[in-house]
Amino acid sequence: MLRAQSVLTILAAGALLVLVGLPVLFILLQAVFPEFARGSFAGAFSKLVILIENDRLLMQARNTLMLAFSVMLGCLIFGLPIGVLRGLFHIPGARIWDVVFLIPFLIPPFIAAIAWMMTLQPRGYLFQLVGFDMGRFLFSFTGVAFVMTLNLFPLVYFAVSRALEMVGGRFASAARVHGARPLQAFFLITLPLSIPAIAASLLIVFAMSIEEFGTPAALAARTGFEVLVTGIYTRLSDWPIDLSGAALGSIMLMAMVLAAFTSQNWIATRRSYISQTGKPASLEKADLGPWRWPVLTLFALVALIGVVIPLAAIAVTSFMGTISGGLNWANFDTRHYAPIFRSGSRATQALVTSGWLAVLTALATAVIGGLVAYIVVRGTGRGRAVMDGLSILPNAIPAIVLAVGIILAWNSPFLPLTLYGTAAILLIAYIGILLPYPIRYAVARLRQISGSLDDAARVAGASQMRALRHITLPLMAPSLIAAMMLVFAIASRELVASIMLAPAGMRTVGTFVFAQFEQGSVQTGMAMSMIAITITSGILLAVNLWLARQGSSAFSG
Amino acid sequence: MLRTTSLAATISLITSLAHADTLTFYTAGPGGLADALAEAFEAETGITVNVFQATTGQVMARLEAEESNPQADVVVSASWGSAVDMYERGLLMEYLSPNAAEVPDFLKHSHYVAQGISALAMVWNAQSDVPRPAEWTDLTDEAYRDLVTMPDPAQSGSAFDLIAGLEVAMGDEVWDLMAALAENDMIVPGPNAAALNPVLQGAKAVVFGAVDYISYAQAAGGETIEVIVPESGTVIAPRPMMILQSTRNPEAAQAFVDFVLSEAGQELVASTWMMPARADIEGLRPGINDLNVIEVDEDAVAARREEIIARFNETVTNR
Repeated sequence: MLRAQSVLTILAAGALLVLVGLPVLFILLQAVFPEFARGSFAGAFSKLVILIENDRLLMQARNTLMLAFSVMLGCLIFGLPIGVLRGLFHIPGARIWDVVFLIPFLIPPFIAAIAWMMTLQPRGYLFQLVGFDMGRFLFSFTGVAFVMTLNLFPLVYFAVSRALEMVGGRFASAARVHGARPLQAFFLITLPLSIPAIAASLLIVFAMSIEEFGTPAALAARTGFEVLVTGIYTRLSDWPIDLSGAALGSIMLMAMVLAAFTSQNWIATRRSYISQTGKPASLEKADLGPWRWPVLTLFALVALIGVVIPLAAIAVTSFMGTISGGLNWANFDTRHYAPIFRSGSRATQALVTSGWLAVLTALATAVIGGLVAYIVVRGTGRGRAVMDGLSILPNAIPAIVLAVGIILAWNSPFLPLTLYGTAAILLIAYIGILLPYPIRYAVARLRQISGSLDDAARVAGASQMRALRHITLPLMAPSLIAAMMLVFAIASRELVASIMLAPAGMRTVGTFVFAQFEQGSVQTGMAMSMIAITITSGILLAVNLWLARQGSSAFSG
Repeated sequence: MLRTTSLAATISLITSLAHADTLTFYTAGPGGLADALAEAFEAETGITVNVFQATTGQVMARLEAEESNPQADVVVSASWGSAVDMYERGLLMEYLSPNAAEVPDFLKHSHYVAQGISALAMVWNAQSDVPRPAEWTDLTDEAYRDLVTMPDPAQSGSAFDLIAGLEVAMGDEVWDLMAALAENDMIVPGPNAAALNPVLQGAKAVVFGAVDYISYAQAAGGETIEVIVPESGTVIAPRPMMILQSTRNPEAAQAFVDFVLSEAGQELVASTWMMPARADIEGLRPGINDLNVIEVDEDAVAARREEIIARFNETVTNR
């Protein structure tokens, strides 16, 4: 019985080391040894000087943190209320709202930034429609934080709704019996019980916002606003390339995220958040009653700002004959879709490639992530904290640097046979990059489930594997499924790692769209995005409705 | 997972066996051109060309990360200095294609040769309410306040070359020009595409130092923009094509370079609105002889790169 646990631990640790530890190790080596990529260990630590000489570093670090905290706050404002409502009440069309709020993940961040620019900048769509623009708002710190919030707030929505679903209303009912007012019961009892989930999702938001480059670059570079990633990308954006400097910059980001991780961990473990003890309790959601319409209006408002406007900007752009022609019917044209549907076009190949990559990545991250989360929360031994910390790093490293780490690790001439140069390397990269989602979601969920449920099964004679399969796994499933959908959505349009790692000749949706923008065909890029978003959200909706029809309580996510 | 892994292993085995008649081609944009060249070459020779197309920065970063075990055979970059640098580090194979005979001498070297050439220009949105500018210095006029964009020289090699070139032509006055442009609220939003996009929609009116061929193509597609090359002079950005020393397939790589420099290959280059490298092939737009080209000593400029970028940041970005 002990052996089963050791085997699982070894599997989880091995997967993490290969998928995350290996690239991180090679990034560290590259940071220390500037000539490492050329196979030389000369000049160790000679690059450290850029940390001392760079007088803008402090300003960049301050900007980075300010931005990250603003985005975290923004995500709470946008994601928390609807997440709470979704978790505690019957929301009409709940399944459909879930898919709607997955759409921000289907839109590549750089496209979202361009869509907002084309909507709000002087003479943009807003101006063409109603005669004023919001350029001053958009091209500012607030604008950057606003657009990044819209890319990330669903993380909070999904985490909170899944956590509260499990807490249910019964603790609040107990408080009510003891005389608490409804809001008092909510703020003192129900909401605090979902703290691990809120903290876990905010940790991902933090990591994603210090690593994000496209949005600050597109919207605030013109006002001289720089973040730490600015320096990293500048080192890699044109000849001469400075791999070592970029790796060094990434180490600073990793350190920041590890600090955030530690405080998140402290919050999530200093007291018990267990709400699932196995006592039979009805987890029936409450009815909204007369609040039905105000609540739906709130959902619609969030969806309008976060989903409809950017999506409409993408759709409108894709149908414009020329950008300078502006919004008028004479300028309506479908010709930018033609290159995509042309027979033998590489667009079909890109859609198929991204499709199977996204499916495999979602499955693999759920399996590995669920396993790692189980070991981290239920296992024993000091290595668990290391595993937990390691698993968040991929979100902190700019994807381009992580890709360089993967190339250095997997393209080493000493390997007899390598996956580099094949499609499998993309799968490895995607799994590594997206592993934090299922791990964070599942860890938070497990902290709500009492270990005594496992113990009860074991006392009743079940083996550890059997208890895992019949008790813990079904209880974890809703979080893992929510994370799988996120992973599927992001993997379906991943860009930066795909550019750097795809074997020559292979295209993904992300690289296809990016290449269109590079060539100056903004409309064809938007058209391809539109097609990919339609297909992917269709798949997600179908899966969601199918799960609803299965109706099994384990999947009542 | 296991099945995927073994499948991938099989695929990698097959590809390594098949390497004999495939070629790996890393190239900066335009992507349509790389695909067209690869298809035409395959039709002619039966050799498959696998294309990796990205920005110059991404191509160079990938080459650098792969340096201990190189994957590419032929490389095209948008930055002439990158070829000089790779040559000096001994990474390039010596080859002068017979088809390069018609390429002007300053665009070829024993180890690399231009594939095509772009020039740096102003791009003006004709629907904007500002007058058509004729000279770089016109853009300091009050009429263009808050309406000019420029690619960031730290992120775009060609914008860097333009500053360096104007410094050769104007001396220290280029910094007065930059200061005046900054004073006139010119923005520096990022690489080339980021500088052009606001001008297309009309948020801004003119790009200072845009790569010309993209805008020529967009104007041909109906956008109301015009490419204007100042008579006082501009710089050109030839795109070097090179064979890596490490290529496992030198004959095919040389055949590919020959093909790109053939009449058929150069016609394909011309169709992207770049200037063909060969002087005897007509471009769709004004050629080198129609421009007043400022000559820049690449080596001297490359050595001063950090200094120039720092001064640009001081004068414009972090004013």
